[in-house]
Amino acid sequence: MYSVSSFPQAIAHIDADAFFTSVEQALHPELKGKPVVTGKERGIVACASYEAKALGVKRPMQLFEARKICPRLICLPSDYETYSLFSKRLVAIVRRFTPAVEEYSIDEVFAELDGLRRIYRMGYPEIAWKIKETIQREIGITVSVGLSASKTLAKIASKENKPDGFTVLRARELQCFLAKTPLDRVCGFGPNSVMLLKKFGIHYVLGFIQKEESWARRFFGKIGVELWHELRGEKVYGLVLEEKTGCQTVSKTKTFTPPSGDKDFVKAQLIRNLESALIKLRRYKLQAGRLAVHVRTHDFKSWGVEADFDRSTSSTLHAVSLAAELFEKVFKSGVCYRLTGVVLSQLTEDRTVQYSLFDSLPKIRALRSLDRVIDGTHEFYGKHTLHLGTVLWLGKHRQHLNQRGDLPQRKTRLLRGETFRRRLNIPLWQIAV
Amino acid sequence: MQQLFGYRSKGGVARLMAHLIKRGVVRRDGRGRFVPAVALIPGLKLLGSIQAGFPSPAEEELVDTLSLDEYLIHKPEASYLVKVTGDSMIEAGICPGDLVIVERGRNPKFGDIVIAEVDGQWTMKYFEKAGSKTVLRPANKRYKEIIPKETLTIAGVVVATIRKYH
Repeated sequence: MYSVSSFPQAIAHIDADAFFTSVEQALHPELKGKPVVTGKERGIVACASYEAKALGVKRPMQLFEARKICPRLICLPSDYETYSLFSKRLVAIVRRFTPAVEEYSIDEVFAELDGLRRIYRMGYPEIAWKIKETIQREIGITVSVGLSASKTLAKIASKENKPDGFTVLRARELQCFLAKTPLDRVCGFGPNSVMLLKKFGIHYVLGFIQKEESWARRFFGKIGVELWHELRGEKVYGLVLEEKTGCQTVSKTKTFTPPSGDKDFVKAQLIRNLESALIKLRRYKLQAGRLAVHVRTHDFKSWGVEADFDRSTSSTLHAVSLAAELFEKVFKSGVCYRLTGVVLSQLTEDRTVQYSLFDSLPKIRALRSLDRVIDGTHEFYGKHTLHLGTVLWLGKHRQHLNQRGDLPQRKTRLLRGETFRRRLNIPLWQIAV
Repeated sequence: MQQLFGYRSKGGVARLMAHLIKRGVVRRDGRGRFVPAVALIPGLKLLGSIQAGFPSPAEEELVDTLSLDEYLIHKPEASYLVKVTGDSMIEAGICPGDLVIVERGRNPKFGDIVIAEVDGQWTMKYFEKAGSKTVLRPANKRYKEIIPKETLTIAGVVVATIRKYH
């Protein structure tokens, strides 16, 4: 903490401002300067533009509430495909400057700038500024950048001057800065930790780091010690550089509004989730040993049940029988449900197959070929082109398919050669020329 | 080793080591000390299979080819599609219904086709300079050239036009 150098390490946190609405405003320039929110298909505010925030609209308000505060609010359905395209572009631009980049979330990126000063012949703040300026010029959205000696500090710094912010937090400035930083700004201090610190008379971050390390360990454990070091400018958390090559569990859940008590429809929702989860599993070349099925009622109570497969599998046809059994256990007639979900766990690699005594090898091979055909078709025609018959019941309640009757524009205004399921991976700029 | 293996006597250890030597896991070196007889580190995990042998002659030649994506788009992070609705650039071969690829943040040169926001309106024209003034020239006799009075933003440069028949 009592460091003479500015940057024992240099880590930048790049945080897009109001990401979803900024993307919408970048592609629909007529929305610039207006109060815009996304999340129409869910009936809630998923993201609010700064103009909407200034008028009091907050995440995650219900849309009808937001419209009461702001009658001229523009509500858009979420277009996750386009948001993901922009997110990938954001990361790619940062990667031009340094290979050490972590995709922290869809709209946040960490970049390690150590060692780059010689290559670019500029200081760390200048490099960070160039990253910010390039993003704004090429993608058309604003980002807030924080530059400091650790991930935790960089995240605090980026929040400091949002939106369109640029904050440099040098290690030797820490003492002054952290004396005014409230505790809840620290990513890692939840409401309980903040309460505990306040009991000790600590209201700002400086108070925490001025305590002994042993004190931090005693009251906050291992995480406390890690944060203690990070906040003092000593890097503990490195960047997670790898792209996801595998996972511990795969889960898919989907909310549908309005809630429904129709058994066929709810089951179809569940099986659709199962199909999606298995497609993902096959993509990572994994198979699952355990399946959990859960449902949530309209009053937000959850019910779930879990069971092991007789044999680790990634095959839709094989998994659906267990899923149907588990569904019978959780579904109660007369109750309205709003969400179904599946969790596939105990994942192992596809190549190691343990056959049980009762397995029929030809059948297993046939199931694998079927999956190959399904995945191959999807590659060309789009996901869920081929699916189980049970899922057809999704069509029973048409209003659920396009909630509030809305699809993102990108799915309705198709270009020649595009289909509903498959579109170009380049965003369409909606201007009339 | 007594502590390691949890034996209470040296004899137990000696018996264990004799077993290990018999199985070929461990051996005695020239000075009588125990050394591993097999690699204790298991084989490195293969990260994937590498094709052995020479690549096919066709593959060698194709290493330097460009895909259509690479040919048309030089800066993927800054490239966007715009659907053309007007006919102001028809004599340049850009017709209503065409798609153009626009590169944002690119500095326009004289003669480039640009997407510009002029006094609040979007337009696609040739970018030209007359002295210090910017002139936006159409490619259609029925349109007049635009000399921005208040605001002008050059949003991007058109790098390609796409017309798909099927």
